[in-house]
Amino acid sequence: MTARDSPYRVDPARMGQLPQTTAVDSSFDRGVTTRPVTPRAQPIRRLPVRRRDLLLIALVGCLGLMALMRLLAMQPYIDATWRADGDSAVELVSSPLPALQGLGGGHLERIAGRDGQAIDVDASLLHRSTRWSVDDAQRRQQQQLQQGLAAMLTQGEVTLHFAGGRQVLLEPSQRGIAGLGAFIWLLAAAALVLGLVTAAVLRAHPRWRNVPYAVISLFQGLNLLAIGIETLPGLGLPEAYARHGGVARSAFDLCSAAAMVHLSTLQPLRLPAGRWIAAATWSGCVALLVLVAGQALPQSWWWIQSGMLGCGVATLLLMSWSYRLEPNPFALLMRRLAAAATTTLLLLSAAVAVASWHDGIAQGDASYSTVIWYLFLSTLILLLPMFSRAQPLMRELAMLAGTSTVATSLDLLFVATFALSSFASLSLSVFFALAVYAGTRRWLLQPMRGQHVPGADRMFERLYRVLREVEARPRDSAELLTKLLRDLFEPLQVQTLDRPSTRSRVLGDGSALLVPLPTIDADQERSIDGSIVLRFAEGGKRMFSRDDARLTDRVVEQLRRAVAYDKAVERGRSEERARIAQDLHDDIGARLLTLMYKAQTPEMEDYIRHTLKDLKTLTRGLATSDQRLSHATAEWKTDIAQRLGAAQIELSWTFTFDRDIVLGVVQWSALTRVLRELVSNAIQHSCATHLEITAALEGRRLRLTLADDGIGRNPQDWSHGLGLGGVRKRVKLLGGEVQWRENGRAGIVCTVLVPDLNPRP
Amino acid sequence: MAVKVLIVEDNPVARSFLCRVVRESFSDVIAITESGDLESARKQINLTGGAQGMHGVDPFKLLLVDLELPDGNGMELLAELAHYPATKIVTTLYSDDDHLFPALQCGADGYLLKEDRFEVLVEELQKIVRGQPPLSPAIARRLLTHFRPAGSNDAAPSGSSFSSAGAFQSSRPVPIEKPLDHERLTPRESEVLTYLSKGFTIKEIASLMGIKWFTVNDHIKSIYKKLNVSSRAEAAVLASKQGLV
Repeated sequence: MTARDSPYRVDPARMGQLPQTTAVDSSFDRGVTTRPVTPRAQPIRRLPVRRRDLLLIALVGCLGLMALMRLLAMQPYIDATWRADGDSAVELVSSPLPALQGLGGGHLERIAGRDGQAIDVDASLLHRSTRWSVDDAQRRQQQQLQQGLAAMLTQGEVTLHFAGGRQVLLEPSQRGIAGLGAFIWLLAAAALVLGLVTAAVLRAHPRWRNVPYAVISLFQGLNLLAIGIETLPGLGLPEAYARHGGVARSAFDLCSAAAMVHLSTLQPLRLPAGRWIAAATWSGCVALLVLVAGQALPQSWWWIQSGMLGCGVATLLLMSWSYRLEPNPFALLMRRLAAAATTTLLLLSAAVAVASWHDGIAQGDASYSTVIWYLFLSTLILLLPMFSRAQPLMRELAMLAGTSTVATSLDLLFVATFALSSFASLSLSVFFALAVYAGTRRWLLQPMRGQHVPGADRMFERLYRVLREVEARPRDSAELLTKLLRDLFEPLQVQTLDRPSTRSRVLGDGSALLVPLPTIDADQERSIDGSIVLRFAEGGKRMFSRDDARLTDRVVEQLRRAVAYDKAVERGRSEERARIAQDLHDDIGARLLTLMYKAQTPEMEDYIRHTLKDLKTLTRGLATSDQRLSHATAEWKTDIAQRLGAAQIELSWTFTFDRDIVLGVVQWSALTRVLRELVSNAIQHSCATHLEITAALEGRRLRLTLADDGIGRNPQDWSHGLGLGGVRKRVKLLGGEVQWRENGRAGIVCTVLVPDLNPRP
Repeated sequence: MAVKVLIVEDNPVARSFLCRVVRESFSDVIAITESGDLESARKQINLTGGAQGMHGVDPFKLLLVDLELPDGNGMELLAELAHYPATKIVTTLYSDDDHLFPALQCGADGYLLKEDRFEVLVEELQKIVRGQPPLSPAIARRLLTHFRPAGSNDAAPSGSSFSSAGAFQSSRPVPIEKPLDHERLTPRESEVLTYLSKGFTIKEIASLMGIKWFTVNDHIKSIYKKLNVSSRAEAAVLASKQGLV
């Protein structure tokens, strides 16, 4: 094979494709493997750069958060813990302020500012989240209270009027960093992580299709920060937040929902009418938001919730559509995650609504459940781009958050609707939530695991079978490996790439798996570099995970080892055979030679010579493996021509074959000895002057005739001595038959017919 | 003066058999020296003027060397006697090219298979001395690859349909990057080799090529010579590379 047509050449055109195909590598991109690689692929970004950029973003994020904290710390507040007592009263629990000492258990009725402005206090003062207030009037009341309080606090001294006519004059202090409480830090950290993951995704793939994802996580991060502000201890919120907090949070929620719909029109598959669907969703949400902000919409909470739920349902439908267009397991996963988020939202909304209709339920419970729901949503968003890569811990965390949402929502519902005691409702709801968890967990993770993971025994059986086949046909190892992978993962598409890869990798967020195609060829030192890309495992119902990549790596390694082992065994075997052949040849051959020289009669000498030649055939069969028919034919002919020449017999030799097959050792040695024996017979017994040898191989059918013009007659009456018996035996070994008949006027024709001369045993 | 012959053969029965063959082959007066191993053979050769045979002390005219000797391989002796002015013949039980080809490369002028019948051996020996060395199909194939190193795009001789380089997996062609003229076969020689590799007899080749049989023989002789020369050139190149010369 010349260098020109060798498959290992470096093709400049192929080299040019490399930058494109390396895009398949990208860790976060799930788009590239689902569509043909375009020439305007992004240049590869090296990891160190990416890491440095992320560090920078993290630093900026931290600084921003610190600035926010500083701002919050400068806000004035009243450092005291309050509790809602019944529906309307606000009870002082404790306070480190000296002025409030001894007033524990006192009910706050009124707060008056310096300029005589005063607000009548009720329980809604403690309920800071106006976003989750169901009733319009109640929300307005809450907002007025918070705004009024914030205004008074900024002006300076306030007077607290307690039940029983007691008044306390207080100078509001600045919060200071210590007065922020622990909760806001946790939420700020969560928001920062969310932001960093988003930055990583965008950094790895600055594509428009990833922008909706960034929008979602941005708004969720802001939502978390807003929740953090609402959970600040003591009385008093920043004035700006008190004024706009509710609307802002509605905006965050609605925009996230719209972005989610937008995202599902782009990922994993760009949907045909996606642009219009996204535009409609966005305009609907923005219109709703404008109406809510302008207070033009009665029952605005219900509108916002409906908007969010509508977006959730739209996402579900879009994902189903996308999955029908192309069975990408990622669509399946996204659909399930969206279903989980939407269902929990529905449950939460129902619980909050029911709770608001029933007096006497602590508002705190409702706000806790909403906080937990937001955390759940945030973990889902975090997991979305790296579900196939994420550690099980992360997944379990998301599950836990979801379960907690369900538990708290149910708790609220039970307390509200069945008037259960708080303990009973809590235990019941925890029980239900665990049941839901157990049921949902399987369902949600199914795209990760697949429906029918092959059992260990079946898997072993498949692996073993393929190993055997690879050992038998090392040249087909790539094909066999592909077949095995097909069996294991049942992918929808299998595609071979020219570019090499070192390890198995999950691509496109679990929709595809890249497997290096090793050379397991026994004869080739160089490896044929290539890779297989499997897409959409189990017909698109399952995502590839890192475990799958690890498994395939091990399978490939095992195949390689098996072949190496087989090669070593074969080498050892042939060395051993060669040694035996050498010994036989040297020892027995030399003795037979001596014996031959000392033979008393020419017959004896010929007999020994014959034996010696058989021994040589035998040892050669042991030492060398396969022979080409053309080579064997040439040697037969030379040998026979020489022998017949010595015996003064004319030879005509015709050997035709349509294909130069490779003879196995068995075939070669059997044919060699049959020919030798038949020619010996002719020389010794026929007294012929002419021997015509004709052989023809058609396909795998061999027909061999030896026709002499000697004195032989009546072959039926021949006594089948050692020679003819040997011929019969060898022909039978080849699966053929031999017969002798009279040749016209003089001589004998011997015909050997082998219907299937198997080229390789 | 008697023709001096050296027979190097460890088996005494085989040695006396070969003596008979030699005596039968030539009508001249024969003086046969026998030795059973390499060492005594070397001594005998030194007595007659050393390996170069330069001192004119009546060297051996004919050497029969067995390949399998108790103290080494006959090929060693052949290699030492590369310039010894005698007809050197390998006598062996091995008829496969793996054993014979290196012997031919070491400068043997022909080979005899010890298991052949007496008459056959006599005839073969006479032929070799007359300059008609044998060439089995396997060795012919081996020679074709030897003179056509893998990767060169020499025009393939006519009819070499299944003697292409890819067909030889057992042979290890010596890589020669730029074959010199004396290392190349003429097209006629290639043709002869190709026919031989297919099992044609010399007579058949002569009629196929439309030349006299002794012309075919000349080609074979020339191939033998080229094999010796090329292998000697290789050895020289190798030696100078290793700083031996």
